[in-house]
Amino acid sequence: MAVPRDKTLETEGSLDAFVAGYRPLPGIVDEMMHADGTVRPHWQTLLAQFAALGPEEINRRFAAADRYLHDSGVFYRVYEDPAGAERPWPLSHVPLIIEPTEWKALEAGLIQRARLLEAVLADAYGAGELMRDGRLPAALVAGNPEFLRPLVGVAPPGGAHLRFYAVDVGRGPDGRWWVLGDRAQAPSGAGYAIESRLALSRAMPDIYARTRVERVAPFFQAFQAELFSYNRQDDARVCLLTPGPLNETYFEHAFLARYLGLLLVEGEDLIARDDGVFIRTISGLRRTDVLLRRIDADFADPLELNAASRLGVAGLVQAVRDGKVVIANALGAGLVEARAMLAFLPALAPQVLGEELLVPNIATWWLGRKDVRDDVLSRLDDVVIAPAFGTQMTGLRLGGGVLGAELTDGQRTVLMQALQDRPIDYIAQEAVTLSTTPVWRDGRLQPRPFSLRLYLARIGDDWQVMPGGFVRIAENADARAISLQQGDLTADAWVLAEGPVSTASLLPAPEHVPVQRMTGMLQSRAADNLFWVGRYVERAEATLRLTRAMLGRLADASDVAAPLVTSIAALLQNWSAAPLDPAFSPPTLVARSVLLNPDFSGALPRLTRAARSAASVIRDRFSPDAWRAIDELAALIAAPLPNGQSDSAMIERVEAALRIIASFSGLAQENMTQLAGWRFLELGRRIERALQTCRFVRSFGAKDTPEGGLDVLLELADSQLTYRQRYVMIAALAPVIDLVLLDPSNPRSVAFQLDRIETHLAALPKREIAGRLSPVRQIAVTLATRLRTADAANISGGEIVEIENELMRLSEVIGSTYLTHSDRATADGDTVT
Amino acid sequence: MIYDIRQVTTCAYASPVAHAHHVLRLTPVNRPGQRVHLSALRIEPSPVKAREGADFFGNRLTSVTINEPHSTLSVKVSARIAVEPVARRDPAAAPAWETVRDDVFAATDIGPQSPVHFLFASRMVSLDPEIRDYARQSFTPGRPIVEAALELNHRIKTDMTYEIGATTVTTTAPMSFALRRGVCQDFAHIMISGLRGLGLPAAYVSGYLRTTRSAEQAQLQGADAMHAWVMVWCGEAIGWIGFDPTNDMVASDDHVVLAVGRDYSDVAPMDGVIVAAGGQRITVSVSVTPVQSTAALLPENAL
Repeated sequence: MAVPRDKTLETEGSLDAFVAGYRPLPGIVDEMMHADGTVRPHWQTLLAQFAALGPEEINRRFAAADRYLHDSGVFYRVYEDPAGAERPWPLSHVPLIIEPTEWKALEAGLIQRARLLEAVLADAYGAGELMRDGRLPAALVAGNPEFLRPLVGVAPPGGAHLRFYAVDVGRGPDGRWWVLGDRAQAPSGAGYAIESRLALSRAMPDIYARTRVERVAPFFQAFQAELFSYNRQDDARVCLLTPGPLNETYFEHAFLARYLGLLLVEGEDLIARDDGVFIRTISGLRRTDVLLRRIDADFADPLELNAASRLGVAGLVQAVRDGKVVIANALGAGLVEARAMLAFLPALAPQVLGEELLVPNIATWWLGRKDVRDDVLSRLDDVVIAPAFGTQMTGLRLGGGVLGAELTDGQRTVLMQALQDRPIDYIAQEAVTLSTTPVWRDGRLQPRPFSLRLYLARIGDDWQVMPGGFVRIAENADARAISLQQGDLTADAWVLAEGPVSTASLLPAPEHVPVQRMTGMLQSRAADNLFWVGRYVERAEATLRLTRAMLGRLADASDVAAPLVTSIAALLQNWSAAPLDPAFSPPTLVARSVLLNPDFSGALPRLTRAARSAASVIRDRFSPDAWRAIDELAALIAAPLPNGQSDSAMIERVEAALRIIASFSGLAQENMTQLAGWRFLELGRRIERALQTCRFVRSFGAKDTPEGGLDVLLELADSQLTYRQRYVMIAALAPVIDLVLLDPSNPRSVAFQLDRIETHLAALPKREIAGRLSPVRQIAVTLATRLRTADAANISGGEIVEIENELMRLSEVIGSTYLTHSDRATADGDTVT
Repeated sequence: MIYDIRQVTTCAYASPVAHAHHVLRLTPVNRPGQRVHLSALRIEPSPVKAREGADFFGNRLTSVTINEPHSTLSVKVSARIAVEPVARRDPAAAPAWETVRDDVFAATDIGPQSPVHFLFASRMVSLDPEIRDYARQSFTPGRPIVEAALELNHRIKTDMTYEIGATTVTTTAPMSFALRRGVCQDFAHIMISGLRGLGLPAAYVSGYLRTTRSAEQAQLQGADAMHAWVMVWCGEAIGWIGFDPTNDMVASDDHVVLAVGRDYSDVAPMDGVIVAAGGQRITVSVSVTPVQSTAALLPENAL
């Protein structure tokens, strides 16, 4: 059957022109082009399509991919930067193309390697025969920081140490793929690989479809099903255990959790007991039987592993010992990552598996053996010297490794002494020159060296390889393996399909995920932070409104304005937003303190920082825009006033801050899924707003308030417009109080806040206990009723204080009901229905 | 020599602790040259759950969970232990230290008793080049290992000032070595760092020291703390020998071993995770009283 071919594929001239300036580097294998300058066949489909687009359209498409990544919130955290700076994801848009035959061979080799590493782990934590027989030096295991002694003799629940494993490979000058290293602790990058794939397939759907690329979704679906198969109860949730938002790959943790339908948890969210591991949620303790671990094992349990860890779960090791929880990968699996292992795996393969390694690893020598050491030292210039276990040796900065010939005289002296004293800490590796793959630079393709990370998942007793990968490209053309540690750029890897591409997951949503609706599974820690984000943001808003009301009246020299300004200033001083000292009472000084003084808990620098830090630990729960608003607010307040500290400069700052808060409110209202998390954010805001409004009423709505106080009150409660429309007269006491305190139709009134609070509480778990309203709802209902029946003309300051006290009690009971990490198991009557 | 040992550890918390998990390493076990006649542990408030176990190195662990709110936690240990004196050897007859080192590099035993576990940097003992070079002065080429270790033991005692308060339990070897000050824990960590820096296996020992030598002298009740010293692997024929750099002596029947690990963090008497705000203050009192083998348990030792 004649297959209609795309016209561009036949226009050979344009392909030739497109790659005309591209030449492999001398003596180095290039993925795209033979040494003679002809394009390798498996790249032709892709390149012909690029050629047909032309440089301008290519740039446009690539920019669209970047925009997609930016909009999805994909970024890279710079670890060393204390400010937690994030930079755009460095995607090189040209994928690496791998042809099917070569892929099959690679696949078989990596699966074999996974089986070998599993056998080594089982032996190291079990019988120890490989050591006893002298096939693996005992020092190589004992000296490995990832050899976790509390796990010795413990068979991993679920039967396997390794469940998700990654291998870094590179193509050597001989044209073969070589294993450069193993990642068994908690391999990173797979989430980025999925995001890169999504970005490219959306930016160039036509090219992606025509190139016939193997989809990666089926691999993750199989892995997800495998993880879920270890749930012993239907209501158990599989969790992804992350060290938290400060980790450089936190974005990936959040993404993978969403993608695989896992609950993203930190150590603090979990509790290990005799009867299993549980998640602390707003509806009580919920069981988890399976953890996908992204926290380094040593930090996983402060009781039995690193006692200094604040990231782990006390008692997790015991839970593993008791067979209560499957962890992927098992605690201690990082043992096989050590570089020194590479020296022994080639010889272990025939002994353990009865087969030679199908894909060789880079030649490696452990210098703890004297004969090996003497041989290596005789040709030191040609090898790379590196730490045996990945940890750095004091006094010798080898980094990821140093080529013998490039050692400075000083380093050479230190190294020789170190090899004399403790050769067991070092390995030597063959210096490998890696192949190159094209990147798009200055409107044309250019070769760059790269390494490729491939992912394997254990499915049942077998392994599957993700058909794709995470390519790390060195920006500089020095093509040695060792210069790749920093991975300047990343790219997607496209494995070409031999037959038809699996249509299980086609565009526009190639990486389809089953629908998940999570109710009642909100972690208490997340709810707590959301609640406080709400309270801090609202408190910042009230403080800003007060400041604006004060500054706005400064220019007014009338007799009416002066006492009002004084009383607003006094209120701000009482709120710990400014020093109480009378010397600081002049309104301008008070405003300055409110806006700039980081030492006062009620001043904006502290409030906005607190809001940001509460939001930062749960930022995956906000849309990128909502998070950005909170971040911007804190940044704005932290910046010095640009135009000096004049009153007008301060008013500008207040207005700018209020605008950001308004946009945050809109984004939270419109863009957050209205699940439990959103309700806690709302509860925080509503309680805080009700409290502040009560205080405003007491300060500016009392019978003895200075003239003009009611106008201030209407302004603070943002209700002037409503008032004028309703009453067409100057502010009078009873109508104003009614509007800002009692009118349930005014969205700023206290009654309205309570109405919303009631609604939110009614939608949360534990709303009823034994058929009766929960204590927290009883407080809310009583308060709401009280406001509904109050009379604006007669309500006293004392009554308003009582309402405030009840609001604070409400906040406390919400805390003790939902947010405190209670150790009690869920009682039957407690569960959500 | 037989000892009655009594240790009381009290943690006073600034605010009540609602929930606590602790791992206690306070129960002695039988070891070569050491027999435990009796040992008991009393914890207040009493745990809802207590679990006995052993760590990788064979030290006894008690892991406890306390659920009732408490402002003070007290752990009382009572034990009667018999310790054999260590036979004197000719230090010059020990193998050269390099031989011991090369043998351990080639070790094939990964079991808990293997010296190979005590060869590498550990949480609190990094391999500091300065400490290594300091140790090297005693480890001249071909010198018998026991002789060299004795000299290092002596030099640490001479060059360091024993000073309570100069360091804390979290002070690392390079820090206290730079100060040339510290307590037994620091002295031990420094010696371990120096030995491991040269490729020699060295272990950290926590335990008790008899403080008076003659029966006429009054026993210092409750005035003592726990002690720490070092064990050095001296080759297959000799095995482990205990060196006490704080007192410039070889450990014999004045020393009672409680736990052995790679450094303090492996044998810390109490590790814990508590749910509470505010700080804590820990006081420890220890008494080590020589007794006759036929002596009944002293009343205050009875639980």
